[in-house]
Amino acid sequence: MSDSGPGSGTDPDRVPSLARRVLAPFADRSVAERLVISLAAIVLSIAVGFVIVLVSGRVAECTTAAWTMPVTGMGFCYDPVEVYVVLFNGALGYPFAVGEPGLLNPTWSPFNLSFGLTLSETTLLIFTGLSVAVAFRAGLFNIGTQGQLVVGALATALTVLAAAPLLPEGPAAGVVLILVGTAAGAVGGGFWGAIPGALKAYADANEVITTIMLNFVAANVAYVLVLEVFRAEGSSVVATRYVPEYAQIRPWLFSDSSDFALVALAAGVVCIAGLYYLLEHTPFGYDLRTSGVQAAAAEYGGVNAKLTTVRAMTLSGAIGGIGGSVWVLMSEGRWMASVPDLGFDGITVSILAGNNPIGVLPAAFLFGLLKGGALEIGFQTDVPTELVGVLRGLIILFVAMPEFFRMIGRFVGMGSGGTGGVAATSSEAGEAATEGGETDA
Amino acid sequence: MNPAVHLDGITKRFPGVVANDDVDLTVERGSVHALLGENGAGKTTLMNVLYGLYEPTEGTVVLDGEPQSFDSPRDAIDAGVGMIHQHFMLVDPMTVWENVVLGNEPKAWGGLRVDKTAARDAVTELSERYGFDVDPDATIADISVGEQQRVEILKALYRGADVLIMDEPTAVLTPQEVEELYGVFEELTDQGKTIIFISHKLGEALSAADDITVLRDGLNVGTVSAADVTREDLAEMMVGREVLMEPAASPQPPGDSVLEVTGLCVDDDRGVEAVSDLSFELRAGEVLGVAGVDGNGQSQLVEAVTGLREAASGEIRYRGESILGTTRRERIDGGMAFVPEDRHERGLVMSYDLTENGILGSQHDPPFARGGRLDWRASRDHAESVIEQYDVRPPDAEATAESLSGGNQQKFIVGREFERDPDLVVAMHPTRGVDIGSTEFLHDRLLDLRAEGKAVLLVSSKLDEVQGLSDRLAVMHEGSFSGVVDPATVTEEEIGLLMAGEPLDDDSVERAAVHGDADPTDGGPDEDPMDGTAGEGVDA
Repeated sequence: MSDSGPGSGTDPDRVPSLARRVLAPFADRSVAERLVISLAAIVLSIAVGFVIVLVSGRVAECTTAAWTMPVTGMGFCYDPVEVYVVLFNGALGYPFAVGEPGLLNPTWSPFNLSFGLTLSETTLLIFTGLSVAVAFRAGLFNIGTQGQLVVGALATALTVLAAAPLLPEGPAAGVVLILVGTAAGAVGGGFWGAIPGALKAYADANEVITTIMLNFVAANVAYVLVLEVFRAEGSSVVATRYVPEYAQIRPWLFSDSSDFALVALAAGVVCIAGLYYLLEHTPFGYDLRTSGVQAAAAEYGGVNAKLTTVRAMTLSGAIGGIGGSVWVLMSEGRWMASVPDLGFDGITVSILAGNNPIGVLPAAFLFGLLKGGALEIGFQTDVPTELVGVLRGLIILFVAMPEFFRMIGRFVGMGSGGTGGVAATSSEAGEAATEGGETDA
Repeated sequence: MNPAVHLDGITKRFPGVVANDDVDLTVERGSVHALLGENGAGKTTLMNVLYGLYEPTEGTVVLDGEPQSFDSPRDAIDAGVGMIHQHFMLVDPMTVWENVVLGNEPKAWGGLRVDKTAARDAVTELSERYGFDVDPDATIADISVGEQQRVEILKALYRGADVLIMDEPTAVLTPQEVEELYGVFEELTDQGKTIIFISHKLGEALSAADDITVLRDGLNVGTVSAADVTREDLAEMMVGREVLMEPAASPQPPGDSVLEVTGLCVDDDRGVEAVSDLSFELRAGEVLGVAGVDGNGQSQLVEAVTGLREAASGEIRYRGESILGTTRRERIDGGMAFVPEDRHERGLVMSYDLTENGILGSQHDPPFARGGRLDWRASRDHAESVIEQYDVRPPDAEATAESLSGGNQQKFIVGREFERDPDLVVAMHPTRGVDIGSTEFLHDRLLDLRAEGKAVLLVSSKLDEVQGLSDRLAVMHEGSFSGVVDPATVTEEEIGLLMAGEPLDDDSVERAAVHGDADPTDGGPDEDPMDGTAGEGVDA
């Protein structure tokens, strides 16, 4: 990964090393290419979504047309422009003024409800995305982040509920309970991740199968446990008691109903940085990455493949478990049976991010935006939520097929013809290795 | 009568490499012809030309007197050429007859339906005619590898093949299945079919073929009749009479024992014994060379010593202590350097840059790892020092391993391992693919290591290399040393004999551990994937 930017020719000591390391990737052609491709993907998905909104607006029945096609006078029930404006603008809480003079909305504040919802989803997906990414980098396909999150969430709720009476009420106890609860979530999730890791390493069980199965086990065991043992008295749903309010991660600046705390987002960003550091700057990360891209070379380099598998899955599960802690302590305040599909969305987030921890941030934010925007469309328009789901799916679909855009790029004669982003998935790297073998002489 | 196959002056060039250089090959109808050569000699490339996968750069393919021009294997099949690849291309859940007719099904109902009865009957008839003993209704997944191979042959025959090319047909077979295959060969040639098979095993070519053509470095060394040739002749033809280097005398007597192998047995991936009851000792300041035709257990020996493969039985002592059961990591930390035979799979992480590759194996050790973090500056300095000393090009520590040519990759690996300050260096084909100038440099460095008192286990298929660098030369054949000789006095003929598994009565033999009944198949690894696509020894 040589940086082709203008900085590469300068004396490395003249540029501060940290700044150089942070900025170098952006000068990298493959990163720039990735950004361009992501943008093109979103534009193209909007174009396709535009047509879908129009067609379904023509099929649907309504009393007044939301949009009338010029010249033909043909009426449509849904206005595609409005849909996309609400989707993106609404997800941020309308920072842009639409139909008013001036571009920006003067009354906009970043601490609004919609943006809070967007960031809340972003925060949760950072953890699940990281969980999947770290396993991926070790060459393991962890489908079980969902189960690890469920277990971690339950461990957190039960630990905090059990520990709360032991401490005097107050903010200090809150901090302690949150830390202890999060640790319990990490341990619970880590344990749930270690199981398929050990099965893979010592019993040669395919981790895709075992993690999928353990998702069901986790969901149902947790359900029965809460239903039979830990259910809150008088609760109409299967849920534990609420953890004390002082032990919840409270919103600060953002509104209460958004269930979003900046502290949790900050913790997510710290996790991203920590995982990046772990992967790129520690011997353990080196072992893990090498196992992922070229297992035979890792073995040659003295990496214990079995142990690395168990460790990577434990770490992956622990991060997923922390996601569960955040879900309990920030979003719900209790464990409840209807756990959202954060773990599964984490797989897509990780793949969109090229399994790179840094990339998880924008990928999770895109998902958050789409989630927040979808809620907003439900509030503001008559467009059915199913249609919004289709539009979200389209955006993700296009973003997830970079090779398609590289092909178009080559076809129209732009681009380098080079393939493979910075963070190649293991299969890409494998192909690259094979190519290297063929061209070798 | 025209020969079944005549290749006339075939030259096949790949960018930077000549895989086949003006090769002539004539195969008579109804004969079995072996194409013999080391990995990378160009055997597979030549056969891919005959099968229409590659278009020759120069030369013509003549079948039965008719010059041919193949655009694809389809054309070759239509002209009666069939190829059976080393890795079978069968659909596991389908039956034998379904696999045989796949793509050429007899049709019924005006092409709407496969005529199953006709298809099954045709396959049964074909199988019976050649005495194949394969149940047409058996599922591929349920039958043995030998039977699967016969299904592949049936597929080719069903498509009307007169000339059958088989790529390393014995590589996946058990000894009994090999015997059966030879029977199949006879059956086929009796009925006028022509067989060309690719091999790097001498015994196989001698027992199964009528004629043998030896390729070396893309050149046809000669075609001989199997009846008039000995194993030694063939070994010589394969390895070649290259200019012998003047063996450099060791400056000091050998020191303490570094590596002591006793009664070592190692199995290959198929569970077949590849190293059999092998014993030797290697002392500090000594180079033990291991020569032999590839696939005689050298890989398994080296993997057992370096910790990449478990020994089935026996003992390996390193600096006086048993290292059986110790991990690869512990052996690296114990001062064992290892140049592996496969640089793409093991020696380098292809997608990493040289800085990252430079610490492979040392990623937990200072100065690269300190306090739980990797010091990339130190790693980079290290990579740059290896690059400079070993003349790796381009001299860029940020270049990815896959962007380097094979010779430069090799130089980097050798440099990394030699500069580890090891007690024992295990080097397998250390100069494979490296140009002549750099080869000399690597040889000098190896002798420097010896002078510094390191022990070196050198495995190479280049005879001049092992002979010129070793203090003692062991020749490996079918899992054991057929002899350990003094490289300064041994003749090439004697090495040829030993490579063929025949013991010497000469004085120069210190010890000859010959195995009783020679197993016709040795437990060698599969053919190097580079074979055919790139000639070894050529630095692009």
